[in-house]
Amino acid sequence: MASTSSAFACFGSSSAHFMGHKVSIKEPSSVPTSVQFRPLRVSAACASTAERPVSHIASPASLYEVLGIQMGATCQEIKAAYRRLARVLHPDVSSSGQNNATAHEFIKVHEAYATLSDPEKRADYDRTLLFRPRRSFAVSASAASMASPTSSGFSGYTRGSWETDQCW
Amino acid sequence: MAEPAYTVASDGETTGEEKSSSSFPEIAIGVDIGTSQCSVAVWNGSQVELLKNTRNQKLMRSYVTFKDEIPSGGVSNQLSHEHELFSGAAIFNMKRLVGRVDTDPVVHASKNLPFLVQTLDIGVRPFIAALVNNVWRSTTPEEVLAIFLVELRVMAEVQLKRPIRNVVLSIPVSFSRFQLTRIQRACAMAGLHVLRLMPEPTAVALLYAQQQQQMIHDNMGSGSEKIALIFNMGAGYCDLAVTATAGGVAQIKALAGSATGGEDLLQNMMRHLLPDSENLFLGHGINEIKLMGLLRVATQDAIHKLSSQDNVQIDVDLGNGSRICKVVNREEFEEVNRNIFEKCESLIIQCLHDAKVEVDDLTDVIVVGGCSYIPKIRDLVKHVCKIEVYKGMNPLEAAVCGAALEGAVASGISDPFGSLDLLTIQATPLGIGIRANGNRFVPIIPRNTTMPARKELIFTTVNDNQTEVLIVVYEGETEKAEENHLLGYFKIMGIPPVPKGVPEINVCMDIDASNVLRVLAGVILPGSQQPAVPVMEVRMPTVDDGHGWCAEALHRSYGSTLDLVTVQKKI
Repeated sequence: MASTSSAFACFGSSSAHFMGHKVSIKEPSSVPTSVQFRPLRVSAACASTAERPVSHIASPASLYEVLGIQMGATCQEIKAAYRRLARVLHPDVSSSGQNNATAHEFIKVHEAYATLSDPEKRADYDRTLLFRPRRSFAVSASAASMASPTSSGFSGYTRGSWETDQCW
Repeated sequence: MAEPAYTVASDGETTGEEKSSSSFPEIAIGVDIGTSQCSVAVWNGSQVELLKNTRNQKLMRSYVTFKDEIPSGGVSNQLSHEHELFSGAAIFNMKRLVGRVDTDPVVHASKNLPFLVQTLDIGVRPFIAALVNNVWRSTTPEEVLAIFLVELRVMAEVQLKRPIRNVVLSIPVSFSRFQLTRIQRACAMAGLHVLRLMPEPTAVALLYAQQQQQMIHDNMGSGSEKIALIFNMGAGYCDLAVTATAGGVAQIKALAGSATGGEDLLQNMMRHLLPDSENLFLGHGINEIKLMGLLRVATQDAIHKLSSQDNVQIDVDLGNGSRICKVVNREEFEEVNRNIFEKCESLIIQCLHDAKVEVDDLTDVIVVGGCSYIPKIRDLVKHVCKIEVYKGMNPLEAAVCGAALEGAVASGISDPFGSLDLLTIQATPLGIGIRANGNRFVPIIPRNTTMPARKELIFTTVNDNQTEVLIVVYEGETEKAEENHLLGYFKIMGIPPVPKGVPEINVCMDIDASNVLRVLAGVILPGSQQPAVPVMEVRMPTVDDGHGWCAEALHRSYGSTLDLVTVQKKI
C-alpha cells in the first residue's frame, strides 16, 4: 500500500504501453479494447444478480459506491455486499473469456471491502471523503481510463490505494 | 484442445450420457496426493464420491516400487508384506522431497528413509534412487509422483468410463511456487492438466461451506457468517486456514503451514528407540536398509496404537544382534515429540492472529488429516480454540472431497439443488517480494493477500550513475533474502546515468485469476511521464533446478553494484 501519486503518474503512462502489448499476445480478440465497453458489461451482470446501478462502476466512485451500499452501512451489510459482488465478479464464477476484466473489478471490490470492514481504516477513509474535493476524482479517473485500455493496468490498483492512502 | 492420446480399453463401450463431448463440460476430478496416502474423488452429479481401486480401497499408499521392469505404484500394486515397502526398492514420501534442494532441512531429514537420498549440500536437487538387484536406480520426485498419478488416472478412467484430463490437486500451504511447477510437471508427465492447485485446508474450507449451505437448505442452520479454523495434519505437512463462510462463499482469511507431520513424529520416535539410528544408517547398505525398515514398521505400528491405548509393547529384532524390547506409554510419546506439538500450537496462534480472529469468534474448529487421530493433537487444538472439534467430516477424506467440489465448480458444472453454488476466495500462502535494502527480503504482495491481486512498490538505485538494477524475486517470510524461495531474477538495463536515489523503479506484482504470477518493473526519471526504458514483464517462477546456488552466484558476481533500496512512503 505504498503507492504515491508520483507512482500513479509513472505507471499510469507506462502500463498503457505495456499492457497493450500483453493483451496482443495473450488474448488478441476476446479482451475488450475500449474502456467504455467493459464497465457496461460488468454492470449489466451486476444489475441482474447484485442489483448495482450502472453508474457506480462507469464513473469513479467512493468505496461505498463500489460495494453498492450506503455510507452508514453496518459491518454485516458490508460483508453481505462483498459476498454478493464476489459471486458475480470473482474470476472463478465469471465466464472464462473475460477473466482479466472481472479480476480487475474484483480487486477493486476487495480493496473497498478491506478498507470498510476494518473499523480504523473505515474511520480514516470516512474523514477523507468529507474533506476531499470532488474534482480529484475526475482527475484520477480520466488518467486511469486513458492509461489502461485493458482491465488490469497498474493504474487500476493505484487509484484504489491512492484514495485510501492519500489522507491529508 | 486436442483429445488426450491416451485412451482406456473400455472406451469403446462408452455410450450416451457418460460420453464427454465439447458441448458438455468435462468434470475435473479431485486428487489428494498425500505424503503417505492418495485418493481420488469426483462429483457424480449429486454428490462427491471417492473412487476405489480394484482392491476396493479408497485410500491408497503413495509409493512406487522399482523392483520389476515396469515400476508400479500403490494404486495397483499389492504389497505382500509391509516390509516390502522398506526393501530399498520402494520410493515414498515424495511430497516431502519434490522441488527441494539438497540444503533443505526437510531433505536432510529424509536421508534415513529406506532408499537413497544423497545430498551434496550445494543447493542442487538431491539424488534419489531405488535399490533394484543391488543397483541404485536413480529417479526423481516428479517421476515417482507421475507414476502413481497415471495409476490414479487409469483407475478413474476405468470407473468413470471416460478419458480424464482435468484435475484439481490439493497441495500443502507451505509449497513455494517453484514446488507448484514441479507438481504441474508431474501431472503433465501423467497426461493430466492441472485446473487448480488448492492448498489443502482451503479444499476442506470449501467442503465446510457446502455443508453449511446444505444445513440452511435443510432448515437446520442459520445464514449468518461462520468463522472456522481448519487444522490439517498428515504425514508430511501441517496446514491451517481460517475461513469465513456465508452463502456458499468460503473466504480464506489466513493460511499457515509447515513441513511438519507424522513423518517427524515417527523419526523422533525412532531416534528415541534406537538413539544412534542415524549413524547406523549412513552407509545405506542392504542390511542397514532392512534394519531401518524393521524399526520403521514397528515404530509406526506403536504410534498408531498409542492413539487408542495408553501404552504399547514394542518388540523388534533388528537382525544384527540387537533387539528392542520396550514398553512405551503415551506420555513418553508426547514428551519425545514436544517440539512438534509446540510447533502445531504456534501455527494455530499465528493463523488466528493473521486472520485477525479471536478465539471467541470461532464457530467451528475442524481437525483433519492422519494426525487428527492423535489425542494430543486434538487436545491442543481444543485447548487453544476452547471449543469442541467439528464432527461432520471424515478426517481422511475431507481434502479430496473439497478438491472434487472445486473440480466440479471450476468445470462449470451447476447443480439443480444449488449444491455447487460455491466459491472459494483464496489468499496467498506466502509473501512475494524482491531482494532490496542490502540483503533484505521486501514483500510486495504480503502473505494472506486475497487473490487475484496486484500490488506495487517503488525502489531506487544505491549507486551514482547506476545504469542497471538486478531484480531478484523471492517467496517466503524470512527477512534475509536468501532464506526464502528464489523464484527468478532479471536485470533492468539502460537506466540513464543519474545520482543515486533519483530513478523511481516501480516493481509491480500481479497474480491473476489462474494464480499466475507476473512481475513488472519500470523506471521513471523525475519530470518524465514516460518510462526511461521499456517495462519488463516476467512470468515467474523462471528458475529451474539448482536455484540454491543461483542466488549465491549472483551475489558473488555482482555484489551490491546492481542493488536496490525501497523509497520511503511519502506521507
